[in-house]
Amino acid sequence: MSSRNEWSHETQAYFDGERAAAEPPPRERPGADRLLRGVTAYAASIHAPGAELDDRIMARVRERGRARAHPSMWRWLVAPQSVRVRPVVLALAASLVFLVWWRDRTAELPSAPQLAATPTVLVRFELLAPRASSVTLAGSFNEWGTEGMPLTPSATPGLWAVTVPLPVGEHEYLFLVDGAKWMADPSAQAQVDDGFGRTNSVIVVGPRGVVRS
Amino acid sequence: MRRTLAIGLAALLAAETLGAQGAPEIRARLIARGAPKSLADQVQKVVSAARRERLPTDPLADKALEGWAKRASPDRVLVAVRELHTRLGQARIAAAQAGLKPPPGGVVTAAAQALGRGMTAEDVRHLIQAAHGSRNAAAGLMVASSLAAQGFAHGVAAQAVEQTYQNGGTTSDVLELPSVTASLLARGLSRPDVGERILEGRPFRLDDSEVGSENGAVNRRALGRAADVPPGARGRSTSNPSTGRRTGP
Repeated sequence: MSSRNEWSHETQAYFDGERAAAEPPPRERPGADRLLRGVTAYAASIHAPGAELDDRIMARVRERGRARAHPSMWRWLVAPQSVRVRPVVLALAASLVFLVWWRDRTAELPSAPQLAATPTVLVRFELLAPRASSVTLAGSFNEWGTEGMPLTPSATPGLWAVTVPLPVGEHEYLFLVDGAKWMADPSAQAQVDDGFGRTNSVIVVGPRGVVRS
Repeated sequence: MRRTLAIGLAALLAAETLGAQGAPEIRARLIARGAPKSLADQVQKVVSAARRERLPTDPLADKALEGWAKRASPDRVLVAVRELHTRLGQARIAAAQAGLKPPPGGVVTAAAQALGRGMTAEDVRHLIQAAHGSRNAAAGLMVASSLAAQGFAHGVAAQAVEQTYQNGGTTSDVLELPSVTASLLARGLSRPDVGERILEGRPFRLDDSEVGSENGAVNRRALGRAADVPPGARGRSTSNPSTGRRTGP
């Protein structure tokens, strides 16, 4: 293909539409006309942009504007800001914090009622288990922990005992013998279904203690 | 506007964080005891739901810990916790219908316990109304359900508590009923006899003809009213803990 520099000035002026002012030299005329015809045909084949191009461009502009809204808020949030707050707004915010905190505190209702001025009573538990090597007490008063309240052998052979402080109220409990066998208290005030296929022993502790049986 | 919203959001977050700090996390406690995470998560969901419903959550946590301590299957633990959650909701409704608005957690817990032992919502409402005060109501419900667990008819159990209050009895007197009745039963009295004594307002005294003579003195001391016994002979504290002899294998 010929480079542009090979055309004479007259031919270049001819390409620029200055036909009247310049005529290409005869030796360049056929090539120049061929080239002009090709360019004219190519230009005619290109679909001229219509009004829809404006619409498309504006739609893209609006879309970009929306997409930038979030980054802008994020930038505002992370950038250092000088915040001016009305004292009344600050007071309202503090009140809101207190109200939600207070609501949560009161929502967490205490399940054990305060039934007595002196809430704790010492209670002695005993179990006769001559063949046991260890006995522990577990119940609603110690979250059914199996290690915290061990019974110790008493002077009476086979008798295990422990004295524990219990809050006034009702408690369910069991003995755990040798770390594996759950046993109800045979002399408990009552036995109730525990919901797991066993029975729990029940003791109700009053402020004046527990009546002997 | 944007700034106000940001301040409000920050305030809410702060408040929720503060609130969460006071809430016991049953999930962590169960996992610390070796329970599977799936169980801990499920129990936590129930507890969180109860908290949103303003129900006491300690009984739910205790039930889950109890079940896991006894090595019940996770499914069974979850069923027990969910059943208790349902009962707590029913108990709250019954307590509110009886006039306690909002019902204190202790009353709701005691009412749920009573419902779990076969008492009806009507029994619960009646007891609360008869008790005159939430502290009395919690103690009354607790004791009535304990008497029911001893085998007394629900009506007798509820009436025993009401009668004690009507006779001028205190919460301490009511709380003493289960151990007194257990002692009377252990002495050989029948349930109808014990029930009759309670309803007549004389549960604490035994005639000599009703007990063996060799144990009469001991029984009198154990079963007498607090005012009838010498100081130190009974009551709370180290000087006189419960010494009911427990027998077993």
